[in-house]
Amino acid sequence: MMVPVRCFTCGNVVAEHWEEFDERANEGDEDPEKVLDELGVDRYCCRRMLVSHKDLVDVVSPYQ
Amino acid sequence: MSAEYDVEFVEREDREARFLVRGVTPGFANGIRRAMVADVPTMAIDTVRFVENSSVMFDEQLALRLGLVPLTTPPVGEFGEDETVTLSIDVEGPATAYSGDLVSSDDLVEPADENVPIIELKDGQRLEAEADAVIDRGKDHAKHQGGVAVGYRHLQRVEVEGDLPEFEDEESRIIRGVIEDDGELVSTSEFDHDLSNRYPGKEVRIEDVPNAFVFHVETDGSFPIEELVTRAADTIAERATELEDAVQL
Repeated sequence: MMVPVRCFTCGNVVAEHWEEFDERANEGDEDPEKVLDELGVDRYCCRRMLVSHKDLVDVVSPYQ
Repeated sequence: MSAEYDVEFVEREDREARFLVRGVTPGFANGIRRAMVADVPTMAIDTVRFVENSSVMFDEQLALRLGLVPLTTPPVGEFGEDETVTLSIDVEGPATAYSGDLVSSDDLVEPADENVPIIELKDGQRLEAEADAVIDRGKDHAKHQGGVAVGYRHLQRVEVEGDLPEFEDEESRIIRGVIEDDGELVSTSEFDHDLSNRYPGKEVRIEDVPNAFVFHVETDGSFPIEELVTRAADTIAERATELEDAVQL
């Protein structure tokens, strides 16, 4: 649904980077690896939180 | 503890640091690490009273998200274990509710990160809630963990033993952490973690420096690094005195 607030594994706060990551890597055509490096998301546990996320609010909102 | 106890910073940033501690036993180093993760009390939202929630997520899902938002933790002694701080949030769609929208009743307890999205609200949806933040330890809930990904490695000493045989292919020797070279501390990232870059054509031996540990510490923003480490050491001292009192005849 919404992006998880913290990394499941290490507890680092990752949600604050989601909107920029989504805009640049998913909507835009930048390389996700470079975007994550620039955002300072270093560990692979935190990186998978953003790379593998899909926002579902738009999908479920018509069925409220 | 041995006489040559010493702490030296290798890297130091706001929320991330690497420092060398000399003269502690492996057991004590691990004790500090565990105290940083599980024993330093931090503030986090624990109870949420929803006035209105017409968003796409359930109350309890939003309560979990609010709980995971890091809050700045007041100085020691400012708050008791059973005292609470009330934060309120009121956002009407179409908009996204962020952690920065939380209004605190106490200046000492504020969201440490302002840009954590709580919930995306569509047209006509509204989130209004009151939340109570309490002070608690990481061992009770992960949201109270002040230290993130806390770990340590042995400090390593590299000694050049001589030249490699002339016709031998050079192999990469990967190490990570911090090495000591003539009393100088060098992070392995400076030579891409590969000793064959720093000592080309040399045969090297690596050994652990006894009782010297390089800690890597990150915080979630509840407090600065120094605060986290000193509070962790204080909790160990506290428990040691508690034990001493308990076994007294």
